[in-house]
Amino acid sequence: MPNISQMMTALSGAFPLGGMDIAFYVVAAVMLFTALLTVAAKNILQSAVFLIFSFVGTAILYMLLHAEFIALAQVMVYVGGVVIFVVFTILLTSHLGEDAFSAKIPRTFAAFALAIAFVAIMVKMILPIEALQAATPNAPEGYASLNAFALRLLSYGTDGFVIPFEVVSILLLMTLICSITVARKDKEEQNREQSKEVQK
Amino acid sequence: MFVPSITNPIGDVVREWVPKLAEYLPVAIQSETLNSIVAFLVNAVICVIAVCAVNIGSAPILIYMERKVCAHVQCRLGPMRLGWHGTIQTIADVLKMLFKEVYNPGGVDKIMYYMAPLIVLIAPFMVAALIPFGPTLVVADVDMGIPLIIAVNGFGVLGILLGGWSSNNKYSLLGALRSGAQMISYEISFAMILLFVVMITGSTNLMDITQSQSGTVLDWMIFKVPVIGFIAFILFFISSTAEMNRAPFDIAEAEQELTGGYHTEYTGTPFAMFYLAEYIALVTNSALATTCFLGGFHAPCIGVAAVDTYLNMVPGVVWFFAKVYFMIWCYMMVRWTFVRPRVDQLMSFEWKFLLPVNLVMLVIGAIYVALF
Repeated sequence: MPNISQMMTALSGAFPLGGMDIAFYVVAAVMLFTALLTVAAKNILQSAVFLIFSFVGTAILYMLLHAEFIALAQVMVYVGGVVIFVVFTILLTSHLGEDAFSAKIPRTFAAFALAIAFVAIMVKMILPIEALQAATPNAPEGYASLNAFALRLLSYGTDGFVIPFEVVSILLLMTLICSITVARKDKEEQNREQSKEVQK
Repeated sequence: MFVPSITNPIGDVVREWVPKLAEYLPVAIQSETLNSIVAFLVNAVICVIAVCAVNIGSAPILIYMERKVCAHVQCRLGPMRLGWHGTIQTIADVLKMLFKEVYNPGGVDKIMYYMAPLIVLIAPFMVAALIPFGPTLVVADVDMGIPLIIAVNGFGVLGILLGGWSSNNKYSLLGALRSGAQMISYEISFAMILLFVVMITGSTNLMDITQSQSGTVLDWMIFKVPVIGFIAFILFFISSTAEMNRAPFDIAEAEQELTGGYHTEYTGTPFAMFYLAEYIALVTNSALATTCFLGGFHAPCIGVAAVDTYLNMVPGVVWFFAKVYFMIWCYMMVRWTFVRPRVDQLMSFEWKFLLPVNLVMLVIGAIYVALF
């Protein structure tokens, strides 16, 4: 019978951060699997659902990095917002399952080559960073907590981001107003539609 | 190694007993780390069981309560035959639901069809884990309580959309689309009211929010901020009713028009899961209302010392559940009192009335915080 304490030391050698490391590998594997399914699924709606699981995996990765607010923002924006709207548009527009799209071989090959090149470059860029190899957390305790986060967003000076924050909020306001103007029916259009219905 | 932020008597007992039991193991296996990991896992299992017990256990009670409230509103008696005042009726209902055959209509997307009820259950269970049921009774005491609640609510919409689409039925799809549109719209005002609470208390941790309301009844959020608190409570009530798809906002499953909405095609256990999710959402939303507005587990003290000592002798959990069931009763009375609005009325109510009022509330809340 193998000695359990030896096994545990061996395990802790393989995973220096304990549960965190194991969680990272599990989440990463699930993310890769769901990402693969997103591309491979024949049905577009299934792809969207697997995309959601992949995003949730990303959120868990952020959480493992102690960036809780970013993780929740990821879930809020991508799962609660973007992908729900994607699902909505899919439900409202296409005839699902009738024409499952098939990619052309040369295009697939090109995409494959591009993806592999991208991964290779990423790995090559990331590996030499010594701080990552040593894996010592750089930020002080509570750097990414909600209070510190909000205060940094609203303060100015070297550590503040109030100007980018305001610029982004104005951008969002502009988008909102634009979308309302695009979606709004003006009086003439409404009258025309009503007269059409009357004619019918 | 694993130290909880809030100590709980049960957790302490587990942490005490695991090392004692570990002494009986062979010496080679014993280690501090192993003990703490095992204690942590045992506590985690206890937490999971507790959340499941609160959620699933309350469903039969709520079914019985709904039938009785409905019956008495309509001057009937409701279930009376089985057991004392029909108490066994709900057990019969649950058993019937579980023993029904599970089948799916032809041509459905089976993965999506069976995944949808599971996804719907994510949000209520996550929220139930965050709620402080007593001073030491909370599963996850996290700093990001309110953002987490707002974030996981999105899963409910997803589950309903998937369920409606994968049923391969036009009524289901229409119901799902209506329900999705409604939930997305009302989620905004739901989140805004929670933000108002966060603004007043200055914390997103549900435990801190509860503790900031300690004292007399006048310290509860609903009375703490004069008038505005009460308006906020009403707005929360409206938006959470719509967010749960409960009547009078149940256009998603309007029986007369859509035969039952997104769960038309579901039978047996998957249908029971949709049903369960609806009732758990009722519990968690009532618990949220209790935590944010009605003082959570604090006793309703009135400032007279002689009365307050007696009120404080009752444990916080009892007060918490009393308030939760009062809230549930309110939701049920609303359900059987008001008529269902049309789809367009519902949407214009949210976007043209509720949302602007919420924005104004946020501004007023900011002024209140700045002045007092």
